[in-house]
Amino acid sequence: MLELSFLHKDQLRAVRFAAIVSFISCMMITAASSGLKHRQLENIELDKQKNILKAAGLIDDSKPVDKSVIKSLFDTQITHLALDGEGQAIAAPTPDSLNLYLHRLDSRIISFIIPIDSRGLWGKINGYIALAADGETVVGFSIYSHSETPGLGGEIEKQWFSKNFVGKKIVNATGQFVSVAIAKGKVTPASGEVELNTVDGISGATLTGKYLSEGIKIILEQYEPVSVRFRQGDYTGFK
Amino acid sequence: MQKLGYLWDTFSKGIFKENPVAYQVLGICSALAVTVQMKTAFVMGVALTSVTALSNLIISLLRKQIPSNIRIIVELVVIASLVIVTDQILKAFYYDISKQLSVFVGLIITNCIVLGRAEAFALANPPLPSLLDGIGNGLGYSLILILVAFFREFLGSGKIFGLAVIPQSLYDAGYSNMGLMVLAPGAFFVIGFLVWLKNCIPGISSEQEGPNQ
Repeated sequence: MLELSFLHKDQLRAVRFAAIVSFISCMMITAASSGLKHRQLENIELDKQKNILKAAGLIDDSKPVDKSVIKSLFDTQITHLALDGEGQAIAAPTPDSLNLYLHRLDSRIISFIIPIDSRGLWGKINGYIALAADGETVVGFSIYSHSETPGLGGEIEKQWFSKNFVGKKIVNATGQFVSVAIAKGKVTPASGEVELNTVDGISGATLTGKYLSEGIKIILEQYEPVSVRFRQGDYTGFK
Repeated sequence: MQKLGYLWDTFSKGIFKENPVAYQVLGICSALAVTVQMKTAFVMGVALTSVTALSNLIISLLRKQIPSNIRIIVELVVIASLVIVTDQILKAFYYDISKQLSVFVGLIITNCIVLGRAEAFALANPPLPSLLDGIGNGLGYSLILILVAFFREFLGSGKIFGLAVIPQSLYDAGYSNMGLMVLAPGAFFVIGFLVWLKNCIPGISSEQEGPNQ
């Protein structure tokens, strides 16, 4: 037998004890994690659907919405599409295809919803922006994950902020793409901010607004081919 | 009778006399972070109370078997496993709140209250008092968290448990929420104020009783 004389009896005991405790803990964590996984994934999916519906303006934060309502609204009115760089629908999503959600009511397209993935002051900001079928008017905006300062930058997830976006245009008066920007505080037409393309920002959270504006612009630029098709009324592949 | 009195003392010490936040000054980090709203403070309190109670119970049951040279590691393994399980449960059943608490549930592992109670109490005492000590300290922590959150949410957002309590007419008349309260300094002020208040009440703090009492 192997001589373990360099190990003291107490040390062996400690190692054995540590092994047993670790094993039991592992079993416990694994059981909890795999046992609850199904529910957790369901919650994540539901949260995503809820935010898409929020961006589309179908539900809002003013009262809690039941799970089944979210599911049925999403299943009946929202369709997920994968698009290539030119804005054409493709059958199977690829790693660099664009994700798009269509809001349809009685087979008429009401709006299309674009996922936002932006930089923030402290971390990533994720949300959705919905554009009307005219390809230029914002119908809704929602943020579902961010790490901005609560009460300041964190206000971006609040309803009052999302509402600022409704009715704004991503194109200027001559139809050129300009994106929507977030102002430093209230929109001041005097300093050259165009009311049509600028939303009221959050005082005290200038940087969050700046990064989010940049993020939205990058994303909307990426989706510009899609928006252009909507502006021209070319709905092939979206029906 | 005496035994009951001892158990009651063990339990209530953590809530008032030796409150973990106000007297032992432990767990301040999370007391700053999750007290912007009462709802998150409440859930955090429940999560920490259950972790402290269970870890104290488990450590106390194992106290005669744990080799003293690896006791801290064993305590941490027990605490970390409990925290991960709590986090998983929150994610499965209270997803919205778990999103708001984000990383702070995971950080219960590093909350000094849990390890502190395991090391200072559970290692040397039988299971029942240890369990009560854990619950008492957890409740003491929750009490401070909810009080701090009450002031911060009320003054900072004009709400209590997410319900608006300040009438719109007051805002129209020029009242505005105190922005400072939603930031970390607001929490420092409120906690400092509570510690001061607690030390002002005679007989409630162990400090005033003198040594060896």
